[in-house]
Amino acid sequence: MSETPPTKRLDHRLPERFLPIVNYDLCRVCRRCVNDCSYQALEFRESKVVASGGCVACGRCIAICPANCIEIRPVPPQFAPHGNWSERSRRSILAQASSGGVLLSSCGADDEHPAIFDDLLLDAAQVTNPSIDPLREPVETVTYLGRRPGRLEVCDGKVMVREDDTPLIRMDMPLMFGHISLGSISYNAQQALFMAAKELNIVAGSGEGGLHPDFYQYADHICSEVASGRFGIKPEYLKEVAAVEIKIGQGAKPGHGGHLPGEKVTTMISETRMIPRGTDALSPYPHHDIYSIEDLAQLISVLKESTEYRLPVGVKIAAVHNVGAIASGIVRAGADFLTVDGFKGGTGAAPRVIRDHAGLPVEVAIAAVDRRLTQEGLRNRVTVCAGGGIRSSADMIKALALGADVVMVSTSAMVAMGCRVCQQCHRGLCSWGIATQRDDLTSRLDPNVAAARIVRLFRAWNEELKEVLGAMGIDAVESLVGNRDRLRYRGPNPKIAEVMNVKHIGEGWG
Amino acid sequence: MNDRKDREVRTDRLGMPVQAENYTASRPPGWQGQLGGCGIASCISLKGGRIDGDRIARMLTIMEERENGLGAGYACYGLFPERRDQYCLQFFFDDEEGKQAVEDFLDGRLDILHDEKVFLRERSTISPPYPLVWRYFANVPHAREWRGTRDLGEEDYLVELVQHINERVPKAFCVSSGKDMAVFKGNGYSYEIADLYDLGRYSGTMWLSHSRFPTNSPAWWAGAHPLSLLDWGVCHNGEITSYGVNRKLVEMNGYKCTVLTDTEVVTYLWDLLVRRNGLPTEVAAFVMAPSTFQEISLLPPAERRLAEWLRITYKEAFLNGPFSIIVGRSQPDISLIALADRKKLRPMIAGLSPNEEVAYCASEESAIRIVEPDARTWAPGAGNPFIAVAGKGIVRRGTEPSFQGVSL
Repeated sequence: MSETPPTKRLDHRLPERFLPIVNYDLCRVCRRCVNDCSYQALEFRESKVVASGGCVACGRCIAICPANCIEIRPVPPQFAPHGNWSERSRRSILAQASSGGVLLSSCGADDEHPAIFDDLLLDAAQVTNPSIDPLREPVETVTYLGRRPGRLEVCDGKVMVREDDTPLIRMDMPLMFGHISLGSISYNAQQALFMAAKELNIVAGSGEGGLHPDFYQYADHICSEVASGRFGIKPEYLKEVAAVEIKIGQGAKPGHGGHLPGEKVTTMISETRMIPRGTDALSPYPHHDIYSIEDLAQLISVLKESTEYRLPVGVKIAAVHNVGAIASGIVRAGADFLTVDGFKGGTGAAPRVIRDHAGLPVEVAIAAVDRRLTQEGLRNRVTVCAGGGIRSSADMIKALALGADVVMVSTSAMVAMGCRVCQQCHRGLCSWGIATQRDDLTSRLDPNVAAARIVRLFRAWNEELKEVLGAMGIDAVESLVGNRDRLRYRGPNPKIAEVMNVKHIGEGWG
Repeated sequence: MNDRKDREVRTDRLGMPVQAENYTASRPPGWQGQLGGCGIASCISLKGGRIDGDRIARMLTIMEERENGLGAGYACYGLFPERRDQYCLQFFFDDEEGKQAVEDFLDGRLDILHDEKVFLRERSTISPPYPLVWRYFANVPHAREWRGTRDLGEEDYLVELVQHINERVPKAFCVSSGKDMAVFKGNGYSYEIADLYDLGRYSGTMWLSHSRFPTNSPAWWAGAHPLSLLDWGVCHNGEITSYGVNRKLVEMNGYKCTVLTDTEVVTYLWDLLVRRNGLPTEVAAFVMAPSTFQEISLLPPAERRLAEWLRITYKEAFLNGPFSIIVGRSQPDISLIALADRKKLRPMIAGLSPNEEVAYCASEESAIRIVEPDARTWAPGAGNPFIAVAGKGIVRRGTEPSFQGVSL
């Protein structure tokens, strides 16, 4: 027995949040669950599998159990009820009083902030215009990403096309995978994303962790990220890809740089990022060569020069309160495309205080950017990409109607691979082999299987997009982009509708 | 307002009441645009001869299922041979106050050479109020100061003045502002409007016309078709499902949407694409009703490249949803353009008189047969423009490949 007074130990002890329950009538005691639980929340004791604490509800045991005899129950509230001092707030205080550190978490903000997407309803065609059946007639979803000329010059009746001036990427659907770095996710997970992007003919972000030599085979579908840490940037990282994107910020942690704990910096990660093994990879909060908009303009020029103007160069920002004016500055600084990452965007590791409390919901951010760029006559020069908490094709469709040309998805792609959004990515123990660098865990993810699942998901989303377009009487996706007339707001706060320039339900036209 | 109580309730073909409020120049409060089906008809003398107004009225009124008495209008081109090079600004005023405000505003900004009241029959079956309809012939002065000296071209200057009046000057609305043309429109059946303006007293090289079957909305004289800016006149049957997108493009280019209908935006798009951006007519038509990327991929290389870049560059000008439109211009030549959407979800038929002197476009064949029983008719293709030019003949039948005749 320990000499430590019991009270001191009890200070540290928080009630469990989840409890795996094994149905012993069915259990075959094969112990696969025990072996597969990377959080060591199950153990084999006295001929039975029992919970040993620390369950995060990743669901791996449920999936692996051949007898289908495990369920995970959320533990009911263990604190005395209090309307203001929620269990969540008391847990945070207790954890922080023990550690004295900044609380970390991952995935997007998990507070129950209602999504504005859920307060928007789509229009459909009836009588005065016909709806279109996408199975019988063409409904187009081809989308281009990059700078557009605004107008074509005409000389002596001849329309001049100077396609070399403005490199564009053609994609089969208005979708891109967000930037998830090798490091935050495993080799197999990133390969699955790249394979899926190639198959879907869309673009996937590289994340800020450089590009593994094996992945240059997918370069035509990769947008490489230049973040403040400049990890892994070498000539081919810029030159051989489809597009280059400067990362200023990320929706999950506006104002912060990347966080990759040293435990995840294995030999492979160290080689790809070009940093020493085992060191924390913390990219600076700002780019230390960008303290203002004119500095950004210079970096954009440098990247365009170094890629010989063959690639679109974009800028990604977190959605913040003044996003409209910032977007306008970025376009004027020469960006060919602009990515806005909303408040609910995902992350592999972020301080909880930032993740849960800073930024702007992507719905409002898209509408603000679209309106501002329109007011300034810039909207038809640039491609606007937006994401952060896109959970379904409905969210994607509403984001398009609010004003995004391309919708960025990340978490949904990971869920397609197996992620259950247990929010433990920062611990590097992902039992699904996605957000981890441990070889025994990453080997659980077959890139071919994962890629096929991602492809199926987004093909289905694209079919649903076509169905909705057809129902609206629209036969090409560009006629939906920024078409806020086809949305109505039904939520609790009409001011939000006004800010987004969306009419309230019940308001027609004509 | 009390006199309204005693007003006879107007009814449509099926005896249903059709009207709530009647507005002339001022936009009805809460106006949010309009929708519904329509009938359109047009004719052009290919040799530059003259066609009298009764003829177009007969074309339009025969399509009686396409209207319910809430708006009809006509535009005549080649109307003022004596004043061919002067701008004709035709206005609706609610009353003398609106007229005075416009005259005060135009004083010193335009050189007004002549003005006259537009003839309206005193007795009409149309419910009052009627607007005061007035016409000004003007030249654009050499010194054009408007919100500072901006060295605006004649036409851009006029566009700014007209848009300012329609947006800001109360009780007044400029319904047409082009050279050698004018618009006659209002709130009533097609035959009532023809009768009200006594169209038989006018003759011109080309006529456009439009009757409306709105499904709702108050009746607004100024909101009836044709919508016009400079010499552009547009009659439109359809409902543009991409209106929000198209509107953004014209607003980005400085146009002010005052009528809040898709037709208004279509009018501004023609002005933007053809007059300001200089696109050939066929190319502008392709921009508004483009081929699919699948079809584009089958084109020869030069055409494919042009088609792709038109779609990329002008994607906000792509008119989605069902429409057929008839578009007129007087500059540089009197021209008629007819275009249907790329799936051809609204009707459009073209015709040519046996002596090949008059060309027609209309929603229904009946409109052509009533005035030209032996006309040769054909259906222009989906997204394929019909173009006829006075003095040149039919330039495009609407059955040719997309870029035939366009220099590549």
